[in-house]
Amino acid sequence: MTGLGATMVRAGRRLLSSLPALFGVLVFTFLLMRVLPGDPAVFFASGPNAGKEEIEQIRKQMGLNKSVPEQLVFYLSDIGHGNLGRSMMTGQPVLKDLRERLPASLELTFAALLLALIAAVPLGVVAALRPGSIVDHGVRLFCALGVCVPTFVSGLLLIYVFYYLLGLAPDPTGRIDVFTSLPPQHTGFLLIDFLLAGDFEGWWTACKQLILPAVSMALFVIAPLARITRASMLVSLGSDFVRTARSVGLSWRKVVVTYALRNAILPVITIAGIVFSTMLGANVLVEKVFSWPGVASYALDALLSSDYAPVQGFVLLMASLFVLVNLVVDICYGIADPRVSIE
Amino acid sequence: MRFVSFRSATSVLATTAMLLIAAAPSQAQTRAETLRYVTGSAVNTLDPNIPGSTRESFALSMSTYDRLVAFGRKQLNGKWVFDLDTITGELAESYDVSPDGLKLTFRLRKDAKFQDGSPVTAEDVKWSLDRCVTAPILGKAQLLTGSLTSADQFKVIDPLTIEVTLPKPDKLALPNLATVYPMIINSKVAKAHATPDDPWATAWLKEHTAGSGAYVVETFKPGEQVILKRDESWNRGSANKPAFFKRVIVQSVPEPATRANLVERGDADLVVDLQASDVQSLEAKGKLKVVSTPQYNAITYVSMNNQMPPFDNVNVRRAIAYALPYDDMFKAALFGRGAPLFGATWPDGKPLTGIYPFQQPVKMDLDKAREYLKAAGLPEGFSTTFSFNVGQSSTAEPMAALVKESLAKIGIKVDIQKLPDAQMSTQINEKKLAFFTEGIVAWLPSTDYFYRNFYTGNQRWNYSSINNPDLATIAQEARFEPDKAKYEAAGRKLNAMHFDLMPQIMLWQPNQDAVMAPSIEGYTYEFHRQVDYRDVSRK
Repeated sequence: MTGLGATMVRAGRRLLSSLPALFGVLVFTFLLMRVLPGDPAVFFASGPNAGKEEIEQIRKQMGLNKSVPEQLVFYLSDIGHGNLGRSMMTGQPVLKDLRERLPASLELTFAALLLALIAAVPLGVVAALRPGSIVDHGVRLFCALGVCVPTFVSGLLLIYVFYYLLGLAPDPTGRIDVFTSLPPQHTGFLLIDFLLAGDFEGWWTACKQLILPAVSMALFVIAPLARITRASMLVSLGSDFVRTARSVGLSWRKVVVTYALRNAILPVITIAGIVFSTMLGANVLVEKVFSWPGVASYALDALLSSDYAPVQGFVLLMASLFVLVNLVVDICYGIADPRVSIE
Repeated sequence: MRFVSFRSATSVLATTAMLLIAAAPSQAQTRAETLRYVTGSAVNTLDPNIPGSTRESFALSMSTYDRLVAFGRKQLNGKWVFDLDTITGELAESYDVSPDGLKLTFRLRKDAKFQDGSPVTAEDVKWSLDRCVTAPILGKAQLLTGSLTSADQFKVIDPLTIEVTLPKPDKLALPNLATVYPMIINSKVAKAHATPDDPWATAWLKEHTAGSGAYVVETFKPGEQVILKRDESWNRGSANKPAFFKRVIVQSVPEPATRANLVERGDADLVVDLQASDVQSLEAKGKLKVVSTPQYNAITYVSMNNQMPPFDNVNVRRAIAYALPYDDMFKAALFGRGAPLFGATWPDGKPLTGIYPFQQPVKMDLDKAREYLKAAGLPEGFSTTFSFNVGQSSTAEPMAALVKESLAKIGIKVDIQKLPDAQMSTQINEKKLAFFTEGIVAWLPSTDYFYRNFYTGNQRWNYSSINNPDLATIAQEARFEPDKAKYEAAGRKLNAMHFDLMPQIMLWQPNQDAVMAPSIEGYTYEFHRQVDYRDVSRK
């Protein structure tokens, strides 16, 4: 109990100390968007007859007719009231857009990370057990290929093979087949919502939609995970306690899994945390290729059209998530290695 | 902890999933009655009048709302296109134009009902048109081009008759009423949702519809998809029956290659915004129907800022006009899919037509270009920057490379600048770009309209920033010219001036390539350049 308590205190302190950083991100993004050349009002006033009057009107609507410090004050007070502004692109409040799209991105990222871990950890372990062997080189080659091929290329290739040529995969248009009706929304994660609704057919359609994008994302992150597992397993396997365990004749399984792997897993958790945060923002290409209604493609579209509010909302969301993920990683440390939380 | 539980739950589920067999599509019967239309754009509002609304929102509103009148359609080289000169009644059963052209009288259909079942009355029409010219919405600037500016111009005569008065006999008044913006709204419903700050219910109508159109909005996910359901009682179509498809799914698919795959596999029925290279290969395979229509109300230009040196010198502009590798650009950018606006021959040096846009007698002739440069006093050439926006890079990028290569041959050094869309439109608006490529579109393409909007005034759409009082006067006078022959003469004069001044170079009118399943029929190229879902049917 004391271990858990200490972890919680540490986590709380971490959370508090990250608040200034979040505020900094907020102000920095705000200013950055204003500094970027390109007037969103002109862009959005692009109807065939839109003139000066329309531009002025949009500027007023977006609050751009005020000075930048004034805008910042209004923006901060809006944030304080939980209002992230309105997107010109979708015409919806940014908070609503993000709330609808975040589960899509999270679901995809979780699935991809899970796939990546399932593949990467055994690969890393196998490679570490036989360093320099054909297996090790094979793993290295596989990882190199995964990193070399950009996600949109692997995504398009997967679509071409599994959807276009073989017809095995469903059409790559979002989270669910257009003809399937959505389950009542509880968590926003379709796989969970379908289960809660007891609709297994629907669950399977959602799952099928998820496989290809998750695989193309996973391929890209297997490499860092497998490499770090291998490196840290090598250290762990060469250490005294493993030699002792071996010499006292413990089973192979006990030596490798219980002693070596458990000690080697810490860096893997750290990297998995970082990989997760990066994936969430960097999966924009996968989201585009698979028409996945996630936050990253939303932010990219907003950035191209200089739509300030969604970009600011997105950066804030990502910063908060990063803080959260770091917290979770901290807590996982405690579980994997009790010594960390005893300190 | 959450991480761990999610993981074990998923792995259990994944195993169960393996045991399940893929469900057979149970919607097989309704699939034929459903139109699945995929697009790279997205619907962002249900009221097209909202500033910032997308082209797809325009198209959607054509099916969810009716207007007083609608454009007819005609065949152009065997393809159906909208016809600006045939205006038929939509909510109006019939209409009259007074002999002096100052009064338009519309008699409404007696059987027309809104989607909530209440009848369409002249009061609703007046409220909707008043909204269009009064509220701070997009319709205002559009209706201005048809001399419709004030609510006083719309008068209710009786519950089924409405009269529109004009200050001048404006040819564009009636066509303007058939455009996207002056849609007829159920005024009782809209008024119920109006607030003192928002008397025209713009906030409510953005998310809801209150119209009499052929389709009812079933679900609306901004930026993702819209599902429409047919209104069974709607009878404003050509044959007095409801629209063909029971259901229409408008889905946003941002990746063009994915859109091409979808339609090729038969999962999507219709798409109009594929990349030219994909269209080319799909057409070659011959499995799908491809309808290519030159967008006869849209033009792509290479534009030069006439106020900025060295392009303020007409000879420099002429030199550029003779130095562009038109044929190569046309092939590289569009795979030749479009109508060229270059390479004409004018036997007596005069325009062959009074219609704008027209084919100019320019072709690549480097010797001529060098002569013009010499006449401009720049025989050694100069350096400049050629800009285009990221959104058009698939066509503009190869084009820019060819421009650079060709101009280098006459000593003009070109740097290529690729700008994000918002930045490009801002710089055009501020007149900061010297040399760039852009396109325009006009909903009501008539010669005077093009010259008035795209060649006069210090405003965004005057890409070349030309300021020629003669040209402006002729175009302004032509607007109210009732005599067809005189109008044609004015058009020829303007076209001759265009060639002489060469404010910007018309390149081509790109094709609208509609790719569809072989069973889809009736596709028509519409003024808003998207699909009107009411046009299409399945055989």
